[in-house]
Amino acid sequence: MASGALTRERDVREAYAAHAAELYGFAVRSLADPGLAEEAVQETFLRAWRAGERFDPQIGSLRTWLFAILRNVVIDLGRARAARPTVAEGGVEPSVEPFDEALLAWQIEEAMRRIGDDHRRVLIETYYRGRPYAEVAAELGVPEGTVKSRVYYGLRALRVVLEEMGYED
Amino acid sequence: MKTDGCRHWKESLGAYALGHLSAEERAALEAHLEGCPACRDEAAALASVAGLLPHADPARFGPAPLPPPELGKRIAATIDAERRSQRRQRRFRIGLGFGGAAATAAAAAVLAIFVLSGGDGGSPEQHVSFRSLPPGVRIAAALEPQAYGTEIHMYVKGISSGTLCRVYMRGADGRDVSAGTFRYRWGGDAAAVLSAALDLSRAKALVVHAGNQTFVAPIGAGEAALRNQPQEEEPT
Repeated sequence: MASGALTRERDVREAYAAHAAELYGFAVRSLADPGLAEEAVQETFLRAWRAGERFDPQIGSLRTWLFAILRNVVIDLGRARAARPTVAEGGVEPSVEPFDEALLAWQIEEAMRRIGDDHRRVLIETYYRGRPYAEVAAELGVPEGTVKSRVYYGLRALRVVLEEMGYED
Repeated sequence: MKTDGCRHWKESLGAYALGHLSAEERAALEAHLEGCPACRDEAAALASVAGLLPHADPARFGPAPLPPPELGKRIAATIDAERRSQRRQRRFRIGLGFGGAAATAAAAAVLAIFVLSGGDGGSPEQHVSFRSLPPGVRIAAALEPQAYGTEIHMYVKGISSGTLCRVYMRGADGRDVSAGTFRYRWGGDAAAVLSAALDLSRAKALVVHAGNQTFVAPIGAGEAALRNQPQEEEPT
């Protein structure tokens, strides 16, 4: 029969267990509507199941494939939303660009969640809040050199996680 | 010696990638990078990660919302329902293929019926094939018992586009129960779904009036009347 990985209902259940949280988290961020996000995730797994025979793990990861489907679903939902007159006046744009930007942002945010607390903390303080290393070191009660090395290991960890998530630069 | 020296430099590479080194520190590190390909590679890798940071929103580094627990079950139920309906359609198509071949092979035969057992343990669904049809015309139907009567999936091909088709189920008492009407359209490949308030077990025949022509195919018990007809083999 088919060599695709999503042709049996059990495959879908496994795919759901592995990736639904991520897809849903991103859908909520992207659509800013938990109800719509649920709809998007449901539609994503339905389409994945219908096209299950076309999924080839040799070409790309299941995660990447599911996100590609979600991308189309979100765009379709955006179009449907824009087609409703009341919402269209609100200016919902069914454009691809915000999706890709949101996906990139979400991937980095997800990677940040997955690295260690200490690493995330110094990146937030030194990079996003722009605070001096000495000040952050004093606040954390560690030498300044430790803050510096945590920044280094934090960025390295971030890169590893992003690669695991399928990010390519 | 080299590894020891690099450890010191490497731990500055993060701050370097983020532009956090003082001018002197930066100059010293860049002098080292000139002569150390390994550190240069690492600096480039970190620079690409650092370049991504502006895209993220630090207010969103907290736990992401989780899907509601029932979502997985809902998806499984939807897929299950779709799988069942696909299986029905697949059986229906098998029936059509068979009916089409039979119509060409035995033009003189009046009527034929076959009942497919289906793949899931004796489905009560029945497939009905109309024969002695004009060349190029195909009519078939799948019947499924429902609480309200019978669901009828009609499939018609090869008659004039726009032809009004009226469908009836003929009961054991010989009375016709209307299953409704549909119009055949060129290019429309989908089966019309109709229903009749007659229990499938009590139905004797399916009657289709297409334009001014009438076609009748026996259902279930009607098979007995065809005992003398050559029997078709079941498709595999």
